[in-house]
Amino acid sequence: MKIKKTYEEINKKIKEGKAVVVTAEEIISIVQEKGIEKATEQVDVVTTGTFGPMCSSGVVMNLGHSDPPIRIQKAWLNDVESYSGIAAVDIYLGATQASEIQGMQYGGAHVIEDLLEGKEIKLKAISQGTDCYPRKEINTHINLESINEAVLFNPRNCYQNYNVAVNSSEKKLHTYMGILIPKIGNASYSTSGQLSPLLNDPDFNTIGIGTRIFLGGTQGYVVWEGTQHSPQVVTNKDGMRISRGGTLSVIGNLKEMSREYLRAAIFEGYGVTLIVGIGIPIPILNSEILRNAAISNEEIYTEILDYSVPHREKPSLGWVNYKQLFSGGILVQGKLTPTSSLSSYAKAREIAEKLKEEISKGQFLLQEPIQKLPVQKEFKPLLEV
Amino acid sequence: MLRKKMILTFPPKIVEEPVTYKLIKEYGLWINILRAKIEPGNRGKLVIEVKGERKQIDNAIRFIRSLQVIVEFLEQEVRWNQEKCVDCGACVSICPVGALSLNNKTFKLEFNYDECVICGYCVEACPLQAIDVIF
Repeated sequence: MKIKKTYEEINKKIKEGKAVVVTAEEIISIVQEKGIEKATEQVDVVTTGTFGPMCSSGVVMNLGHSDPPIRIQKAWLNDVESYSGIAAVDIYLGATQASEIQGMQYGGAHVIEDLLEGKEIKLKAISQGTDCYPRKEINTHINLESINEAVLFNPRNCYQNYNVAVNSSEKKLHTYMGILIPKIGNASYSTSGQLSPLLNDPDFNTIGIGTRIFLGGTQGYVVWEGTQHSPQVVTNKDGMRISRGGTLSVIGNLKEMSREYLRAAIFEGYGVTLIVGIGIPIPILNSEILRNAAISNEEIYTEILDYSVPHREKPSLGWVNYKQLFSGGILVQGKLTPTSSLSSYAKAREIAEKLKEEISKGQFLLQEPIQKLPVQKEFKPLLEV
Repeated sequence: MLRKKMILTFPPKIVEEPVTYKLIKEYGLWINILRAKIEPGNRGKLVIEVKGERKQIDNAIRFIRSLQVIVEFLEQEVRWNQEKCVDCGACVSICPVGALSLNNKTFKLEFNYDECVICGYCVEACPLQAIDVIF
């Protein structure tokens, strides 16, 4: 941990347009060429990126007051129910909520995408009425411009290291990991691997509450650990160091975001979700941080789980690294199985490059976390008592 | 040299006649059978691709039709909307013939239309609904 830089020093260089910024892919060959110490000296920031389905996402909106005003008890946006048990006209639209008339073909994520495209959204709201909010129903249209706040607030994003899904049964499965072909006919995974934000900072040295991030096309922030956050690095029975389930809760202004980095998706037979584009810069404060940020696909392992077993704990069929997954085929029980990613590596690369560009131009400053995220946390089950 | 993809639907009675053999031997066509579902006593379906001179293909089609086999041409098989596609790769492992792959340098989706057998599995697998099968 010899070389030490501070956030202040790095931000000063960024403002002067002198910061040396590379992506989490580029840093791998730089370290191979120059070694850790020289690279730590020369590189100021490493950018990461990811573009994958993140179900725990949604938008907090304030609709404004009508005349006469209504204290909303139930609300629907394009027939997608939104949660309104928060004050009179604050609502939360969840990405995975399905339409009441279009079922799995339209959901919260589609409303979000429609809002980003400037479309008019049908709003229906009802109430029992109170003395001060006498109105019982309103039917109108809103759009992204017309409403007050529209804040993307995602309770769990950037899942650190998701497992690989296979299906050993005789029947095709429709899951959130895509379609799983029977008899281990395919394997799906979801990660941006060596470009992934949390896999490049497994000890949460620089990613914490307040970290400024690229979110959906604009600057957003990490606000809390994500739900189900369980980041401990474990050593499995083969001696591999595996980082598991760290997650992030993120926030940003939806009005500044773009459909380029936020897309509605439908997993056939499973449901609607939102694909979120996130990029997180890692300041190279010391050589340990650089060593972590230089991780390559070959060094990251994840577990293969059999999704045909309908229990919380699914049987493991072994471990595989991301280089193998990205190659297009892995060996599962001795058989070569084709792989599919659900996360777009091409788009993750684009995000890491875009973030690199913004930092290099002095348009994006790094924010030191105001509070570190826990590095140990138990992921508890729901018991039936 | 013309290249045409077509679906041949055979009525039960002539399913046992070696039509493809005749198309090659007597009509001089290059044939690639993309998909076949032939059950004795039932209607059979063949998806084939043929290559040959226009006259050869026309004559062959006349012959096939004379056997009461229905011939349907596939003009545009699978439509890949590149604007909707985000290059996630969900479709790659679903394709039974490997017509879909991610380029190992750019990681962008590549669609090999020549290999495609129009099974339609990719349509269901695409989370962005960027693939469509039309006949």
